[in-house]
Amino acid sequence: MTIPVNDALPVPGGLPAPGGPGVADAAAASGAARGRGRLRRSLALCLPAGFLILLIAACFLWPLVGSVPSPVGGSVLDSSLPIGSPGHLLGTDADGNDIFSRLLYGGRVSLEVGAATQLIGIALGGLIGMIAGFSRGLLAAVLMRVLDVLIAFPSLVLALAIAEGLGPGELHVIWALSFYSVPAFARLARAGTLKLRDQNFMLAASLGGTPRWRIVLLHLAPNLLPQLLTFALLGAGVAIIQEGALSFLSLGVPPPGASWGNMIASGEQTMSVQPALVIIPCLALLITVATLNLLGDALRARWSAR
Amino acid sequence: MGAGRVHEQVTVRESSNRSGSVPPSDAGAAAAAPGSGDRSGGASPLSRVPRVLRSSLLRVAGRRLLTAIPVVWGVTFLTFAVLNLLPGDAAQALLGADATPQEVARLRVELHLNEPFLTRYGHWLGSAVTGHLGSSLGSGQLVTTILAQRLPVTFELILYAFVISLVIAIPVATVAARRPGGVFDSITTFITMIGLSIAPYILALLLILLFSVDLALFPALGWTPVSGGLGANLRSLTLPALSLGFPIGCFYTRLLRADVIEQLGEDYVVTAVAKGLPSWRVLVRHAVPNSMFGLITVVALNVGTLLGGTVIVEQIFGLPGVGQELFQAIQTRDFPVLEGIVAVFAVVVVVVGLLADLLYAVLDPRIRYDNPGQ
Repeated sequence: MTIPVNDALPVPGGLPAPGGPGVADAAAASGAARGRGRLRRSLALCLPAGFLILLIAACFLWPLVGSVPSPVGGSVLDSSLPIGSPGHLLGTDADGNDIFSRLLYGGRVSLEVGAATQLIGIALGGLIGMIAGFSRGLLAAVLMRVLDVLIAFPSLVLALAIAEGLGPGELHVIWALSFYSVPAFARLARAGTLKLRDQNFMLAASLGGTPRWRIVLLHLAPNLLPQLLTFALLGAGVAIIQEGALSFLSLGVPPPGASWGNMIASGEQTMSVQPALVIIPCLALLITVATLNLLGDALRARWSAR
Repeated sequence: MGAGRVHEQVTVRESSNRSGSVPPSDAGAAAAAPGSGDRSGGASPLSRVPRVLRSSLLRVAGRRLLTAIPVVWGVTFLTFAVLNLLPGDAAQALLGADATPQEVARLRVELHLNEPFLTRYGHWLGSAVTGHLGSSLGSGQLVTTILAQRLPVTFELILYAFVISLVIAIPVATVAARRPGGVFDSITTFITMIGLSIAPYILALLLILLFSVDLALFPALGWTPVSGGLGANLRSLTLPALSLGFPIGCFYTRLLRADVIEQLGEDYVVTAVAKGLPSWRVLVRHAVPNSMFGLITVVALNVGTLLGGTVIVEQIFGLPGVGQELFQAIQTRDFPVLEGIVAVFAVVVVVVGLLADLLYAVLDPRIRYDNPGQ
């Protein structure tokens, strides 16, 4: 896929995000302007963070607390109701299923896939990257070559092949998309490890006789984690987009189960008549990914400002 | 001597800057040139620039092409392995679910699917090295024929997408960088944020809704070959190229804008301004060309991801390109076709990386320092 964010891996203590607030504070010379810059920066962090929490709450709690129609098993009698119909806030699709409800349940899938792939990436990729950066032997060289090939590989091919082979399903999508996240995190963790490896606190730990696994897990990992977590926000956006792509190619969550990708795919068939069926899930996906990107950018700017 | 010093300086600045902001360049460099030189931390392809300048370009090109071999090998092997690990095989996929076990077994023998994995890969590799990519297990067509039919469509699409992305990125980033924080810059930041968050398939559908359904300006489906007129050909590719090109164009805009702003703080810009050059000239002749390195690196790296992105866009627009074939080949476990496509992708990625390296040398004004005319 051509999700550019993929390429904008954050940096170990590197530049602020291109176009991020970093440039704004260079311009802010006077005290008042600096205060405004600080306000803007904390807004840039709090707004997307708050919205993300709202989004998660809406997808996971609303169907439990509020009364939302079932996302599946709608009656054909109710099919293709327009937006704002009584009982169906955003109308219904061709099968008579409530769109708002499908949006919430589909959001669950998206958020779960986004979170799971990134957690797998942080755990597995982070470990591989730390080992590859910390040990200086053959193991490190082999690990890196394998990751090189994985990264050079047109990743969608791998994801498609795995999703195809395992069959449609949310869990399988997560496995398939982890092939993106693991090498990316491994690269990042390795680069971070190489920077930290020769610093004094690491040296002190190893001179003090701390076992190597302890150094990696207790000294190295906590220092890498903020950076990996920031990247995970951007990565989650990419994973959500990929999940949509797989569902769109009917390799994701199988219908009648709801996912934004298969909502878009089924809406595409009646697009010229009922554009809302495509536009609504598209907007949901776009807004979610934008929120994650904004939050990731803001966090990255904050880390690099230190 | 003087030139050498300049090399050093610029290299240090570039690598400290770029290794951070674009780490995949690390990935790309390492993938394209395994085992070459210093790779610690975030060594970017840019750290190789001085070497490009020191040795003859041809020798560098030759060496880079040689390093393509392990990458292409690794990628084809991985593809083979993944396809082999998947449940189901070509015989089952070709005959469908209704086939009797006897039929499946017979076809399996016919297609040599019972032989051990490494033997089959060895066979394929042996003939691939001599240029015989085999034929499709499904249609029996030669893989080279399939590639010859389908690659032009995909390559044209990708080229068109890159042209669109650069036509967006270069002017917009230049104007935005003139006054960071200004009105134009703020609007640009907002739009690129959306562009970065939009998936190509979403953009594709929205574009179809707007331009095909509502305005009827562009076709929503299908592809017109160049023989049907260049205008019609480009028209059929405009929406697909736009849906691929706009998101990456937004990414390039951000990247280039940040680089131009950084360049505008350099001493040579102050000199240029001090000697009375008009500001647009400082920007266009000095700052922007010197900001191109990051962009070139990323464009080269994006070729690989863009090739992957064509799968879904070709599917939506019904373009007879390589992406569609790839999707089909995965579904039918048609490994000769898949291997052929993946191998071509890998070669393209490596060659584009090489072109980027050569472009650094062309763009780099320091190469003129070495001319006797200086």
